[in-house]
Amino acid sequence: MQQRERRLGLLYAAPLSLFLLLTFLAPILLVAGFSTMPEKVFSLTQMPDFSAYRTVLEQGYWKSVAWSLFMALLATLILLVICWPLAYGMAKVFKRFTLVLTIGVVMTLFVSENIRLFGWVLTLMKGGLIEGYWRYWTGQGFDAPLYNGPIIVFGLVYVYLPFMLFPLAQGISMVPDDARQAAYDLGASRWQILKEIDLPLAMPGIMVGSLLTFVLAAGAMAESKLLGGRAIITIADEVQTAFTYGQNWPLGSALAMVLIAIIGTVAIWAISKADLDAMMGRKS
Amino acid sequence: MKLSRRSFTAGLGAAGAASIFSPSMSFAARSSELNILCWEGYNTDDVLGPFRDLNPGATVRAESGTSDPDMINKLRAGEVNVWDLINLNQPWARGQLYPEGLIKPLDKERFMPYFERMTPEYGNPPYPMAFADDGELIGMPQRYGPFSFVVNTDKISREMAEDMGWKLFLEPDMAGRFGILTYDNWNLIHMCLTGDLNPFKPLDEAGFATFEGVAKKIFAGAKMMTDDLVAMNTALINGEIDAYFTGGTYTASPARLDGMTQIRGITPKSGPIDGKGGVVWAEVTSLVNNPDASPLASDFLEFVQKPEICKAVGFAEGTYNPVAQMGDPQVFKLWDTDELDAIQWDSLEEESALSVEYDSVADYDKLMEIYTAARRG
Repeated sequence: MQQRERRLGLLYAAPLSLFLLLTFLAPILLVAGFSTMPEKVFSLTQMPDFSAYRTVLEQGYWKSVAWSLFMALLATLILLVICWPLAYGMAKVFKRFTLVLTIGVVMTLFVSENIRLFGWVLTLMKGGLIEGYWRYWTGQGFDAPLYNGPIIVFGLVYVYLPFMLFPLAQGISMVPDDARQAAYDLGASRWQILKEIDLPLAMPGIMVGSLLTFVLAAGAMAESKLLGGRAIITIADEVQTAFTYGQNWPLGSALAMVLIAIIGTVAIWAISKADLDAMMGRKS
Repeated sequence: MKLSRRSFTAGLGAAGAASIFSPSMSFAARSSELNILCWEGYNTDDVLGPFRDLNPGATVRAESGTSDPDMINKLRAGEVNVWDLINLNQPWARGQLYPEGLIKPLDKERFMPYFERMTPEYGNPPYPMAFADDGELIGMPQRYGPFSFVVNTDKISREMAEDMGWKLFLEPDMAGRFGILTYDNWNLIHMCLTGDLNPFKPLDEAGFATFEGVAKKIFAGAKMMTDDLVAMNTALINGEIDAYFTGGTYTASPARLDGMTQIRGITPKSGPIDGKGGVVWAEVTSLVNNPDASPLASDFLEFVQKPEICKAVGFAEGTYNPVAQMGDPQVFKLWDTDELDAIQWDSLEEESALSVEYDSVADYDKLMEIYTAARRG
C-alpha cells in the first residue's frame, strides 16, 4: 500500500518535475553548451573547442570575478552586523512593531531596484538633496561620495538588506528564551551567550541570509553602474558586454559558467551546513 | 458541466500543450498582427495609436531595444519568426542583416518617391546605407544625428571644444572632469578617432598599441562611466563633470529642451578620416525576413513617413532627434523654435558635413578586447 502510494506520488510529481527540470536546467545547459563553442559563433552546431575559457583566463577577467566576490563578501559581512540587532529586535523585542517594520522593508521591494538606486544618486550627487542643501545653508560645497568602490558596497548593502534581515529574524526566533535564561542563571556573560547560545542556534538563519545575500550580490551590476559610475567592473557587467557589444556569446557563456560554478560551490557547501528542516520547524 | 479533478487536470494539460504549440497555430492570424523591434520612439502611443486606429482589429506591438547588438541577437536567436520590422543604426542592415538573410528588400516603386522629400543628406542622392550591394532597397532612413561628444559650454566653450576635438580628453587638466557614456561600440570608434586612427579600416600593430594607450588614458581620466544618458546629463548639469566622451544630439537634446542649452553636442572640426573627426548615425528601418510576414509591415513603414508621425518619431519621450523627412516643408513646420534649438538645428548641416557615417568597426573584436581590458583597469 505504502509502496503504491509512493509510486503514485512520483507519478503525480513527474509532470511538474519535468517542467521544472526543463525551465531551470535547460537555460543553464544551453549556456554551458555555448561556453564550449569557438568564439563568435551563434549556434551550437560547431565543434566544441573551449577557447572562450582560455580567453577568460588570459584576458584578466579574474579581476572582475575577484572584485564581484570581494564586494559581495564585504556586503554580506556588513549586512550581518547591521541586521543582527534589528533581526533580534524583530524576533524577540518589538512585538507588534515587527509587523510595521516588516511591511516597511517589504514595501521597498515593490519599487524597482534601479529606481531606488537612482533615488540615491539624486540624494548623494553634487547639487543633490544632501550637498545641495548643505551648500545652500553653509555656502560650502563638497564632492559627491559617488562613483567609487565603497559606494557600490553601500548600494549592495542597501538593496539586499531584506534578504539578510528576514532569514536572520527567522533564525533568531528559533533560539529558545529558556536556553538564554538558563545560561544567564549559570553566570554566562552577554558575550558568552551570543557566542555559545545565540549564534549556534540561529546558524540556519545566518547561513540562509548570508547565502541569499552573497549569491545575489555577486551577480549584481546595477549598483556598480548607477552609484559606482562603473569605477569597478563587475562580472555580471562583463557577461552583459560579451553578449551585447562583444557579440561573443561563447565568451559571455563561459564567464557566466565561471560565476555559476563559484556560486554553486558556495551555495551547495552552505546548504549542506544549514539545517533547513530544523529551520522550517520540522523534525530533523 | 460537472468538473471532476481528472477533467480539470486534463484541461490543464491541454492548456499547457496549447501554449507550447501556439506560435505555429498563430501563423494563420498574422495578417492582423505586426511586431516591431525598434529604438525607443516608434513604440510610443503617439506613433502606434494612429496606426491602430487605421487598422482596427490589428494587434500592433513594438518593443524597444537598448542597443543595436541586443536587437540583432534576437533575430539571430531565431526571432525572425516573431518580428516584422527592425529599426537599427545604419551599418547593420547593409553589413550584416541583409547578407545573413535576416531582412528582405522593400518595394522600390512604393518607397523610392519618399527619398525625394528628404533633406539633401538623405534624399539626394538617396541614402547609400539604405541600399544593399546588389542595389536592393533594404530600409528607410528616418532619425539621425551627429554623435561625438558633449560639453557644458559654460565650462568649456563650443569653439575651443570644436577646435581641440577629441584631444580635449587627453589634456592633463581634463582628468577627473569628464565622464564616459558607455555605449561601447561607439567608444571604440571615438577612441580610434582620438588616437588619429580610422576605425573603419583594419589597423596594424602600431594602431592597436595607439588605441590601447588612448583607451587606458581615457578610462584613467574619467570621473564616472554610465550607459544612462540621464545620469550623464545630470552630472554635467550639476557640475560633477564638464564634458562626456561619446554623445551628441541624441543625448544632449533632452537637457536642451528643458532649457539647459549650455549642454551641447560637439562635432570636432578636424580628424583622421579625410580630415573629418565627427560621426553621424542614422536609423534604418527594415523588413524582417519573417517566413510568415505580416502585410502590415510595409504599411507601417509608409505610415511613419506622414508629417505628424515624423514629428512623433523625432520628438518621442526620452530623446529628441532630427528626421530625414524634415526636408519636406510640411514636416519641418511642425517643429517650433525651442524644439529646433534642442536638436541643434542651427549647426546640424555643418556638423553633418564634418562627420563620417557610423559604420562597422573593421577590427571590432580585437579593439573590444583591448577596450574591455583597459576598462577593467
